[in-house]
This record gives sequence, C-alpha cells and structure tokens, in this order.
Amino acid sequence: MTLAKLDNLMVAATSSSPEVHGDEAAGSLSLQGESYPENSFEFFRPILTWVADFLERDGRALTVDLRLTYLNTSSIKCMMDLLDAMEDAHKAGRAVSLNWYYDQENDRALDLAEEFREDLTLPFHTLPVSPPSNFIA
Amino acid sequence: MAELDKIRQFLAAEGILMSFHGPFRHSIIEELGKAVRKHLETETVRKSAMADVFSVFIEAAQNVSNYAKRKDWEEAERARVQNGILVIGRQGEAYQIRCGNFIHPRDAGPLLARLDHLATLDAAGLKALYKKQLHAEVPPEGTGAGLGLIRMARTASQPLCYAIAEGQGGLDFFSLTVTL
Repeated sequence: MTLAKLDNLMVAATSSSPEVHGDEAAGSLSLQGESYPENSFEFFRPILTWVADFLERDGRALTVDLRLTYLNTSSIKCMMDLLDAMEDAHKAGRAVSLNWYYDQENDRALDLAEEFREDLTLPFHTLPVSPPSNFIA
Repeated sequence: MAELDKIRQFLAAEGILMSFHGPFRHSIIEELGKAVRKHLETETVRKSAMADVFSVFIEAAQNVSNYAKRKDWEEAERARVQNGILVIGRQGEAYQIRCGNFIHPRDAGPLLARLDHLATLDAAGLKALYKKQLHAEVPPEGTGAGLGLIRMARTASQPLCYAIAEGQGGLDFFSLTVTL
C-alpha cells in the first residue's frame, strides 16, 4: 500500500499558542511560542496526527525542536502524548530526536523539560538559550 | 470618588498588584496574562518567580473558564459561573494569587475531597500524583487535563488554602489562595 504524500503542517502563532511547522521533506517539526490555548486538545490534535502520519510512512528520521516559553497543564498533557508517540517509534528502532530549548534564566523551564526526560529513553537534548533574543514574549 | 479612594487604600493595604472581576473568557485571560508579565517585568523579579506567578494565574483562570464550558449548565448559571475574581498580591517577597468563582453545590464535595487529598501530600507525593495524572486517559468531553490543582500545589511554597461558602442563589462560592 502506498500512502499519499504527507502535506507540510503550518500554523501561525497567536498570543496563547505556538507557531507550528511540520516539514515533511526535512523530517522536522518545530513549535515556537506560548502554549496555553483555549482548548489544548483541539490545538494539538493535528500536530499529533501529523507526527503519527509521518512515522507511519518510510523510515526517515524525525527531529522535533521545541522553543516554548510557557506550557499550561493541558499542553503538558498533549506534549506527553507527542513524546510517548516518539518514544514508541524510538523503541521500534526509528531515528527520532528532540531538542528542547529553554530560557536559562528561568529555573522552571529546565525543570519542566527534565521531568519529561526522566520518563523517556529517546535522544532528548535540553539546550539553554540566552534571552532576550525574542525568546521571552 | 471617596469610594474609589477607599478601594485604592484597601488594595494598597492588602498589597494587591492586580485584580480582575468579570467573565473568564479566553481572550480576556490572554490579555490579563500579558498584563501580568508586563507588571512583573517592571517589578524586576527573578524569571522563575515571574514564571510561577504566570503559571498559577493561567491555571487558576483556565480552571474557571473550563468549568464554565461544561455542557450541563443552564444559560443563566453559566453566566454566573464564568464570572470570577482573581487577585495577585505581594506580601514582602511572597506573591499570592487568589481566585474565586461560583460552583454547583454537587461539585463542592468532590472538589474539597481532591484538595484535602493534595494537602496530605509532600513534594514527592505531589510529583507522583502529577506523573500518574499525566499518563491518565482524559475524558473525551474534557478541556482540562486534571493537572491544574496539582501543578499549583507543586508551585506553591505553602499548602493551598481553600474554602467553599455555601448557597448564594443556588450556587456555592469557591475560593483558592496560592502562596508562592
């Protein structure tokens, strides 16, 4: 069975939701900005679907870059679902990796990433970013 | 005008930096969130303190707005439960976020039971509960992940302080104080 080519995923940022860019050809997904949308489950559904569709196709690597200033708890829940899907792919031998960029002046930002990382075995890089550099909205 | 000055004096005496009373709609929460950040930037607080205030503010406000979105409200009730009050204050170095809203009496018991349970947990217990809830199935109708109160309890430097006042026009009034 041949699957139709996966479209790129493009969502513009709002005050409370991140810019999303899923690039099929590059095998990359990036989220950048705030994440406390009115309904996180609705917001993340197409992202989770895009990742599932990407992983279902040929065996190419997937790199996810996260530059999120704030995640509310329902976004954290959705992020856990995303990372669980990546973890499953990783355990099945797929090349997936995660780059989590955090504001190095904000202790809480690293704590949040570390709490995700401690439950996962996939390549998970926490990378400090120096503000201002447009990182803090 | 004398009354306005009384309100001002009261806010100053209580160390209140910001207060909002009205409908907790998403667009309003977004704008208040920006105001909270701007205000704290001028107070030159540490980034982590600012992040904590912002986080508790968002969780508390979205709890109210999610609660009001439940399907089983009559319209008049929905308007009342969407209206809440949120106050951010500062006593010395400690920030305090206080949030209040009307709830249906049938929800009072389960909410108190949850908060009473959280109050028995130490940092490790709260973390374990947080992790368990993080992997729990979310009811399909829900807009929240059931993590908000746990996160607030984890962020706070003191146990959450809460009360439910019974029966005002058929609804109870829930108030929550989070001290950072």
